Amino acid sequence: MNEKELEIAENIKGMLSKNLRIPEEELDYEVPLFGDGIGLDSVDSLEIIACIDSAYGVAMTGVAKEHFYNIESLTKYVVANM
Amino acid sequence: MDKITNTRCVVTGLGMISAIGNNVDECFANALAGKTGIDKVASVDTTDCYANLGAEVHCDTLDEIDEAKDVDRVSKLCLKASKEALDDAGLVIDESNAGRVGVVMGSCVGGVVSVENYVTKGEHAEDINKMTIASIANHVANMAGAKGVVTNVGNACAASTISIAYACELIRAGVADAFIVGGADAFASVPFSGFLALHALSEQACSPFNHSNGITLGEGSGAIIVESYEHAKKRNAKIYCDVLSAGISSDAHHITAPRPDGLGQMYAIREAIEKSGIEPKDVAYVNAHGTGTAKNDEAEFLSLHTIFDETNPDLSVSSTKAMVGHCLGAAGAIEAVFAIKALTENKIPPTIGYSEEDIEALGEKAGTFDFMPNTMKEKDLHYVMSNSFAFGGSNASIIFSKEPGNVKETENDEKVYITGLGIVSPLGNGVANYIDKVNAQTKPEAASVHANVGKEDYDKYGLKMAFYRKLDKFSLMQVISGLEALQEAGIEVTEENAEELGMIVGTGDGPLTTVYEFQEHISENGTTAGSAFNFPNTVYNAAGGYLSIKTGMRGYNVTVTNGAQSGMSSLCYAYNEIKQNRGKAMLATGTDENSEVMEKLYAKLGKVAGDVKQAYAGGDGFVLADGSTSIALENETYAASHNAKKYAEVCGYAMTHEGVAYGDVAGTEKGLMNAIVDAAAMAGITLDQIDAVYGFANGADEVDTLERHVYEEIFAGKVPVHQVRDYTGEGRAASSALSVAHAALTLSGDLATRQNAYYVTTEEVTKEVVDTSAYKYVLATSCAIGGSYAAVILKKVA
Repeated sequence: MNEKELEIAENIKGMLSKNLRIPEEELDYEVPLFGDGIGLDSVDSLEIIACIDSAYGVAMTGVAKEHFYNIESLTKYVVANM
Repeated sequence: MDKITNTRCVVTGLGMISAIGNNVDECFANALAGKTGIDKVASVDTTDCYANLGAEVHCDTLDEIDEAKDVDRVSKLCLKASKEALDDAGLVIDESNAGRVGVVMGSCVGGVVSVENYVTKGEHAEDINKMTIASIANHVANMAGAKGVVTNVGNACAASTISIAYACELIRAGVADAFIVGGADAFASVPFSGFLALHALSEQACSPFNHSNGITLGEGSGAIIVESYEHAKKRNAKIYCDVLSAGISSDAHHITAPRPDGLGQMYAIREAIEKSGIEPKDVAYVNAHGTGTAKNDEAEFLSLHTIFDETNPDLSVSSTKAMVGHCLGAAGAIEAVFAIKALTENKIPPTIGYSEEDIEALGEKAGTFDFMPNTMKEKDLHYVMSNSFAFGGSNASIIFSKEPGNVKETENDEKVYITGLGIVSPLGNGVANYIDKVNAQTKPEAASVHANVGKEDYDKYGLKMAFYRKLDKFSLMQVISGLEALQEAGIEVTEENAEELGMIVGTGDGPLTTVYEFQEHISENGTTAGSAFNFPNTVYNAAGGYLSIKTGMRGYNVTVTNGAQSGMSSLCYAYNEIKQNRGKAMLATGTDENSEVMEKLYAKLGKVAGDVKQAYAGGDGFVLADGSTSIALENETYAASHNAKKYAEVCGYAMTHEGVAYGDVAGTEKGLMNAIVDAAAMAGITLDQIDAVYGFANGADEVDTLERHVYEEIFAGKVPVHQVRDYTGEGRAASSALSVAHAALTLSGDLATRQNAYYVTTEEVTKEVVDTSAYKYVLATSCAIGGSYAAVILKKVA
């Protein structure tokens, strides 16, 4: 990730930690957020969508699952759609 | 041996207020006519919201009550419906019968309008006592003069169906003759914003069993007078119908979504039918939960088809939410009133909002059932059912009937034992730790103290991060104490026994911290800024829901809330469930939270002491604390089946009310006296057989003085009084349950036999170290602001 992407990734990580109470130490940019990884569910995805919309004005409602895979994929989607 | 307890419970009065009317007749006529109460929302700011519809009440007489400024909108709605029901029943409550008349009200969000007012209109102290669910039943009891069991059920959208069921259980247990039951919820920004964040609101008026694309919120209240047939007959009351039986269960699946396999719903429905002594083919009409969300409607279609398809092809089903919206905690009561009116008038209200194409599409989903699109119909009805399902995985089904039925309610004569304890308190977590700290006479460290739950607890009970991060502190404390109590008791939850294991969670302030923070956030950032993650934790039964998810306990699962005494009335409730064969083991708990928010609110009311203080110290404040205490109760047979340790036998309980303005305690001595006398009577002992009291003094004069008056009157300063709040501070419901736990640990000999105790009279308080080894019968007491009391008698196990 480039510098801009890293900044956004770090910001998303902070939001996940604060708003979804995921301990920071459990999060890196690659760890899968759903399923066997961090174990997020559909309610959490609504919170992620709301956070990203509010921080970057990027709407992710209805966006394909793979973009929610990890912080890196979220970041790339945000950068591509800002 | 089981004894039949099929006392007939009958409905003698009805009251309702909703978006389609300010009384029962208006509401029912409009429901039959398919008139919608759904319109653009006026009471919540819907700027930028993708949905803006709601079913709000329009009534200009809500303020025509005493001291209207001290009453939240939710209680005003409830008072209105309750008054109508009382008038309808012609039930006169006076000194001769007040102690045998109770109030049980259900609510989801309680006085959340007052939380909003507090946050947005200058933080006025008078809004604080209006914030929780607790005040609702108190206001109704005071209006009516009821002095029996007064409490509220906080099981979100199933709350008021459960309130009707609980009242009937208590009548059948013989502790009351009549109840004002029902529930209320007011339109408010917290639930609107929360359901918006969950994308659960429909853009158009909700369309249950049809488009199923979300709910439309409503508000209102339903009230029902339920009494024993004998009581109704004696006073020549008009009888609408019988309340047969109910089924209550927990999904143990997800905090917001119902089980897709409908297992929990089906258990509740089947239990209601079976205990009512009828068969699925007898149910002619179901007033469905029918919220209009895809998940609810799919699960309910599945449950109804599975249970009724084979023998009841002519079943009629409708969702009156299409007209009155989803009134949350009031939904069960409003729908019960609709179901009762349908039954007695043989007229079924429709589900509105179907186009021609919709009706065609419904055909496939409905099978042979009539889902009543758009038009009411006349049908000869004998038995009707009302379903309510809720966040936290809570399910309740209840049956009303024109016939006395063949109710199969029973009561066993087994002893009930305390077999396990779980303690989370500012002293640390775990029973062993509590014993050590009490034996070392540890006192609170400050005037505001906190329990802590963390990694050590998660590891000990195998809580994964994906689970525990979802919980707020209120729920975390409850889950940890509940798991310890189960482990201590040696109760293993299996697929076979899951439905026989239940819990009654007691809380005074519930998740008020989470509610307050949610409100603060949306007041600052707009209705669209609600957190989907936090919203599920704003319901009072979230804690019990999470504990059921973690443990797999799928039985009876209810959250009761009426101040600090809730941590002891939960035990009274659980004891009754075991006696009435609705579970062989139950957890009874008390949980309340201290946080920045709670500290701010209690300080604003002048309740937080300036420094550490002990019982009877004088002055206004107390040490504000928090925690969770869970007590495992088991019947004799089950306890013996796994060789459970018996800490003590529970042998009597009582719950009373002596109403004063909500927020006060002074002047309610008679309530405590009655609770003690009634509990001893139930235990079959005389008052002089009580060897010790586990009281509720917290250092605040108003509470302590009242306690001293009553103990002097009953015990003349000769019985030692132990006070757990001296060790932990005032943890409200957690402390009330802890009083019982402490008493049990004393009787079992786990605590040191030499303990601090007070001898109290109005004139004098002396503190001594006493020998507890000869205690045989002990009394635990608890109190709530507003004047509700619970008392429990424990007996040493030989």
